[in-house]
Amino acid sequence: MRQGMVIDLKRCIGCFACQIACKAEHGTRPGTVWARVIKREYGTFPEVRRVSLPLLCMHCRKAPCVEVCPTGATHKRADGIVTIDADKCVGCRYCVMVCPFGSRHYQDADHTYFRGREPDPYEARAYAQHPTGVVEKCDFCVERVDRGLDPACVVNCPTRARTFGDLHDRESEVSRLIDERGAFRLHEELETCPSVFYLPP
Amino acid sequence: MASGSGGEDVWIPSVCGMCPDQCGILVHRVDGVVTKIEGNPRSPLGRGRLCARGLAGIQLLYDPHRLNQPLRRGNPEKGIGVDPRWQPISWDEALEAIVERLKQVRAEDPHRLLLCGTPASPAPLAFALGVFMPAFDSPNGFVCDERPNAGVEHMLARSLHGSISMYPDPDFCEYLLLFGADCTSGATAEKMADARVRGMRGVAVEPFLSPAAEKADEWLPIRPGSEGALACALLNLLLNEYRLFDAEYVRRHTDGPYLVRPDGAHARDTASGKPLVWDAAAGHARPFDEDGGDVAIEGTYVVDGEECRSVFELLREAVRRWTPEAAAEATTIHAQTIRGVAREFGEAARIGSTVTIEGRELPLRPAAAVCGPGAYGHDNGRPTALAIALLNEVVGAGDVPGGLLGSGAVSLGRPQTGLPRWVPCADSDGLLQSEPTPENRTDDWPAFDGRFAFDPRPKVLIDCGSNLLMGAAGPERVATLKECFVISVSLYSDETAEALADIVLPDASYLERLDPPQQSSPAGRGDWACQVRQPAVPPLRQRRHFSEVLLEIGQRLGIADAVNARTNIFYGLRLPHTLDPEQRCSWEEMVDRICQGGFGPEHGLAWFRENGVLTWPKRLEEVYWKPFDAARVPLRYEWLAGWQPCRAGRPQIGFDLQAVSYPVPWHASQTCENPWLDEVSQSEPYSYFICLNPRTAAAKGIADGDPIWVESTAGRRVRGRARLTEGVHPEVVAIGGNGGHWARGMPVARGQGAFFNALLTFDLEQPGPTPLAIDGDARVRVYKE
Repeated sequence: MRQGMVIDLKRCIGCFACQIACKAEHGTRPGTVWARVIKREYGTFPEVRRVSLPLLCMHCRKAPCVEVCPTGATHKRADGIVTIDADKCVGCRYCVMVCPFGSRHYQDADHTYFRGREPDPYEARAYAQHPTGVVEKCDFCVERVDRGLDPACVVNCPTRARTFGDLHDRESEVSRLIDERGAFRLHEELETCPSVFYLPP
Repeated sequence: MASGSGGEDVWIPSVCGMCPDQCGILVHRVDGVVTKIEGNPRSPLGRGRLCARGLAGIQLLYDPHRLNQPLRRGNPEKGIGVDPRWQPISWDEALEAIVERLKQVRAEDPHRLLLCGTPASPAPLAFALGVFMPAFDSPNGFVCDERPNAGVEHMLARSLHGSISMYPDPDFCEYLLLFGADCTSGATAEKMADARVRGMRGVAVEPFLSPAAEKADEWLPIRPGSEGALACALLNLLLNEYRLFDAEYVRRHTDGPYLVRPDGAHARDTASGKPLVWDAAAGHARPFDEDGGDVAIEGTYVVDGEECRSVFELLREAVRRWTPEAAAEATTIHAQTIRGVAREFGEAARIGSTVTIEGRELPLRPAAAVCGPGAYGHDNGRPTALAIALLNEVVGAGDVPGGLLGSGAVSLGRPQTGLPRWVPCADSDGLLQSEPTPENRTDDWPAFDGRFAFDPRPKVLIDCGSNLLMGAAGPERVATLKECFVISVSLYSDETAEALADIVLPDASYLERLDPPQQSSPAGRGDWACQVRQPAVPPLRQRRHFSEVLLEIGQRLGIADAVNARTNIFYGLRLPHTLDPEQRCSWEEMVDRICQGGFGPEHGLAWFRENGVLTWPKRLEEVYWKPFDAARVPLRYEWLAGWQPCRAGRPQIGFDLQAVSYPVPWHASQTCENPWLDEVSQSEPYSYFICLNPRTAAAKGIADGDPIWVESTAGRRVRGRARLTEGVHPEVVAIGGNGGHWARGMPVARGQGAFFNALLTFDLEQPGPTPLAIDGDARVRVYKE
């Protein structure tokens, strides 16, 4: 089994709901964005296209972050999900440097979203789950996946652009979409074999 | 997140309040703290999926900058930039001061109470405008939006679709022509994504490559304010050159065949007074609703010695001056492109085709043209919006599968009760006249006495969260309201509060309040939904829900009997659910009555609290009403004659650019204060910047990221950072909506983005040659700081 995700750029409207759905699910700290969206323009006026590209941890099969982690904090599970054990992470940030997708975030400061204010009742609960001095990233919502649920960004996507499932199962929806819609991955030339696939816009 | 030890852990069904869309939500509360907001999968509105705003509502609830108690202005001076020197006061003191003022106004002239609300909070707005204001006997309530001219859309939707808004049929549309409109996000996002995947072609006409245009197959950058010229040229090509129109639809469902005399009036039957049409088979005129042979829609006919032409013939004539070449000059879109779009649109409509749905054969016209704020937001907005709307009418795509539909135009009620019910109906001339919905029924409404106009000198102004000063009413104009007693009911000490308010009342957010049910439905086929917004937590600190406060103000003013009477009328309460004049209900009891009155005793507030949402399937004749109804759509060809470029579109020496604003889908109203949403805009390349085409910028020596000024012909200016993008018309400077706050009470939002409306000039001379429209653009120049 290898858990993976397909993001349909034809459906995606670049609305940032994934970014906030992730924030709402995990209550991450200010500046830490596990699920990002970047926008790129192509062409010159008036022949211009813009593409919104949602990014998250690619859960690479040959994950460079796993290779460089000196303590074994970054770990690949049997189902292909790359996780970080905060107790083992020493905050060396080698993984941040080596990730080709910029998907890792070092938790440096203990500040709140309302600058200079004490954590509000929500933040007080949320940040208790996010120690400082360590690296964080998208974990495909392992706690949900282990309960048989899809990741939060998948469940919430307003355009149903995201599909989650087993890449090894030829019958799965993710496999079908990859086969039928000409899926591609980012930075294939780096040969990290990401588990996140994109369908063309 | 882990839940508390053995404590409370509940999910509360409610309704989102971050924008007017009213999606169903589930709020997770653990030990009294809201820990998450998710979409409610049982609600047809959102279907369990929320936009960025809806998910970020927690940050509104716990924002430490929210107002927590009533404040009184300590500084007698008012104005933009003046420190109000707020002094905390008790609710009792605040209400006493307010009631004293209101008593004076009521004794002198109740019309001098002005109340404005925000479309982002439709339920409290409805109670304030529909119940409190009539009970007070003032008709001067209004809605203040950030963008002007929403009235143009509502008027056309009423006139053509029997509704207040329009949307393309997401289930069958195959060709979508967007004029400054966004149909990709919001409640239709999922269905429109389905449509793209199944191959619907999208063409977006707008000066900025907006998030909506990004999803279109083709972006047609246009000189802003010239959308009407393009639409007229498309009409001209369809009607006069390609003859791609639906004659049968025009004959049966519009006033196209009605004969018009040389003086412009309908030719009428002498006996019945009814409009005449030309019976081509019989060779004479007859009343439109009499049986007879085929009716002519084209040509000139002599009736009572006068040469009469049909409305349709006159429409063809009205657009004839708009050759593709003439439109190319007005719009900067190549004439060949215009021809291509006209042909694509006309052919995509598949005139004459049908589709069988639920065993019934209906016309299929899978092409829709949609007019959005980017097109109608000009002083020529009315003819522009009409020309765009007529594209649908001439190809027969009005309220049929695949075309442009009126939103919730028909309600045949729940299967059990047949209520609530409203249907489009025809007036004596056979033309569409929409029956008032329960929300705006007119029986027993205060009689119009000619003073239903903005009184430039109101005595008391209540701003219910609309932040009038940053709205489309224009800051300078609003700032002249210093003389009047201003009550600001708000979540924050916003710009209007700081500049003008004498008293500020801390409002409850949507997560802290109870609102009566509202019936709504997403676009196209599916279910109706009726949901109640219930508090996820009680109002924090001293915040109070303004509907409850209005109830108390009514009691203190001694008009509680009138409030009860208006509640009965406005919410359509019938016996035994009506309120007696002397009854003194709590807000909760009132909402319970409204629930039971609308949905029966088994669906009281307790039911809605438990179940969240009441749904029932939309019927085919509710979604696509045109084939089932005899009411005809008036084509109003005469409006097109007056089309001319908008004011901001006219070149002026030294002012070479036109400034436009566009909606940012992850913001609405005051969401720049929400730090999660602010974080999105901080990372996104456009919304907090002022967008310029690189060629335009190069000529001015402006580089990407430079601080720049945008200055209007009237000397108004806004500051921001330049973002050079190929996705903007070279004659245009584009600014995202909702930015540029300056209030001290909103420190997250303060200084983020640019305040577009500061560039606009609003005065009584501004409205354009056609009523109901002002120019939402500005002629400007841009220079480096």
